[in-house]
Amino acid sequence: MMPELTNSVGVPRNAAIEHPFGLTLGLPGDAARQLAVLRATLRALEEISQPGSVVHLPFEWDASEKVNIYPPEAPPIARFLRRHPWHIPKFLNQTPPEVSEPRVP
Amino acid sequence: MKGCIIGLMAKIVNSYRFLDGITSRMMKHWVTLGAPRQIPWSPLAKPISQCTVSIVSSAAVALKTDQPFDQEIERRDPWSSDPSYRVLPRATVTADVRVYHMHINTSFAQQDLNCVMPLERLCQLEALGDIAHSAPSHYSYGGYTIRPDALLRDSVPGIIDQLRREQVDAVVLVPV
Repeated sequence: MMPELTNSVGVPRNAAIEHPFGLTLGLPGDAARQLAVLRATLRALEEISQPGSVVHLPFEWDASEKVNIYPPEAPPIARFLRRHPWHIPKFLNQTPPEVSEPRVP
Repeated sequence: MKGCIIGLMAKIVNSYRFLDGITSRMMKHWVTLGAPRQIPWSPLAKPISQCTVSIVSSAAVALKTDQPFDQEIERRDPWSSDPSYRVLPRATVTADVRVYHMHINTSFAQQDLNCVMPLERLCQLEALGDIAHSAPSHYSYGGYTIRPDALLRDSVPGIIDQLRREQVDAVVLVPV
């Protein structure tokens, strides 16, 4: 879904698709699309012969198909960063605060 | 060769199409954080039509009869999340599961599990002869992993062990 980010962590094979989050295979009930996406993904698995390669699957998302991709409640980290914006650089740089080890009494 | 594009398909996936401006900028920054590393590689040993295939979904899907994913971990400490995983049998259908991912709209997957974990579609491909078998077991974990250590240390080895025991040839990782 985000091939640039996926490839940046070194996955061996990447079948990229331009679908909204939470709808990786397609809309609920759209069995034909889901089947086609899975079949194309498995074909990519066979085709890719170079580590780190990406196949861009040729599925188009209909722009008129409006879907709400957001959860009903903002994720805890989003709410936390709104309240504590000075922590945003830690999130941006993926350097979360260290977890304090339980102290031995 | 990292980033090689196969074929000359017209379609190039836009990684940022469904993100707002702020999240797009953040993701573009995250792309730059990945340190160069050796990319793991296992050649496919046989045609996919002869393979047993398993699915790993990051949607935090659990059987209703199984222990739920612990969303309170993330609510207590928004830098953390439940690092555990759940096993789902090949015949699992939508009515059997709940979806616990807190960063997506789970209502689509709650209507049709195949949106994020296409177990019924994989069984169809088995029936059509595209693959040899859908594996006996499939897996899900919660894909928000700012601190991935516990997931990598405690969960991934268990998944790999079971994949090996069930002689799985190929795994499809489904992000959400």
